Amino acid sequence: MSIQIEGMSSSELMAAEREIARRHTDNFPWLSVIWSFTNLAVWLSLWPLVFFAGLPLWIGFIIATLNIMLSYLPSHEAQHDIIARPGTRLRWLNQLVGHLSTIPLVLPYRVAKLTHMEHHKHTHDPELDPDYDTHANSPLHAIWKSIVNRQPRATGGFNAYGNALARIGRPDVVLDGVIYNIIFYAIICTLAWQGYALEAALLWWLPRHIGTTYISYYLSWAPHHGGSKGRYKDTRGFRAALGNIGSMGMQYHIVHHLHPRIPLIRTPRAFREMRDILEARGCKIEGL
Amino acid sequence: MEQKQPLAFRIIGTIFYLGPLIFAFGFIAPLTSQLLSMWGYEVIAGVPAVGVGLFVALVWGSWAQWRGKWI
Repeated sequence: MSIQIEGMSSSELMAAEREIARRHTDNFPWLSVIWSFTNLAVWLSLWPLVFFAGLPLWIGFIIATLNIMLSYLPSHEAQHDIIARPGTRLRWLNQLVGHLSTIPLVLPYRVAKLTHMEHHKHTHDPELDPDYDTHANSPLHAIWKSIVNRQPRATGGFNAYGNALARIGRPDVVLDGVIYNIIFYAIICTLAWQGYALEAALLWWLPRHIGTTYISYYLSWAPHHGGSKGRYKDTRGFRAALGNIGSMGMQYHIVHHLHPRIPLIRTPRAFREMRDILEARGCKIEGL
Repeated sequence: MEQKQPLAFRIIGTIFYLGPLIFAFGFIAPLTSQLLSMWGYEVIAGVPAVGVGLFVALVWGSWAQWRGKWI
């Protein structure tokens, strides 16, 4: 669908943008729901398959890595109430997807949701954006920053989330992160001393690191690289080296930041329909 | 006057503060030991693989505990 935007005022552009967004909002995201449960089930099944059914550990490692890379986005849909809004019939499903999908990533839903809302409110603010520390000069630097942010006394990454939660008056939610981490480390250390260190390392510990790096790169660094504060400046459209599927739809993340309730699967179409408006607004659209 | 934190909070705080050492002895030591055994090094210079794992954990874990980073 093409829009004649020439001569439109700012408010007319906004109305046209909102009309496009409206058409793509409130579509039930079946894919995200199926994705969430299937992904978790596959990751959980790897453990008995490797321990008891002879699945080679290296195959388990590859699948587990993909599982953890895939684990964040269904929760992200839930964080934005895309599956079901508060008070609606399927709200339980929204919350279930939110809580379950990031278990392999060891990221509690409430921590993810509250800090992500802060990211949306304060994108690129060095003091208030919990994801600000993913800023980097180049792709390799972004990968390095992600690793640095995971060091014990780092100030960025998940370590920045505690400060963000304290700032918004939800230090109680930090406890979710504490509990998740204690359980995670207790499980992998127990497995390791029972003689299953390699299995723990290759089915959870290392895939979690690789997955976190991937998520940090494609869901945080790449769409915001080169941006600044402002509705039409904080996120860019870009051509990902791994394509739209390989980057999990992040080429069109700009649409998500403008209209967070559009399901992930609909953002490419919404982008194509909005493109002229985004260009008129001066958005960065690179290689698309 | 500063209020004293509950015991559970202090214990959790200590666990997280000592995270690098706990992770080193809890995970890196057995992982190193099992990797060495898998590659056929059950004993190195008279030290069993588990001893080597504990030594690696002590050195690397202490360094990470001191510097606040693994690498």
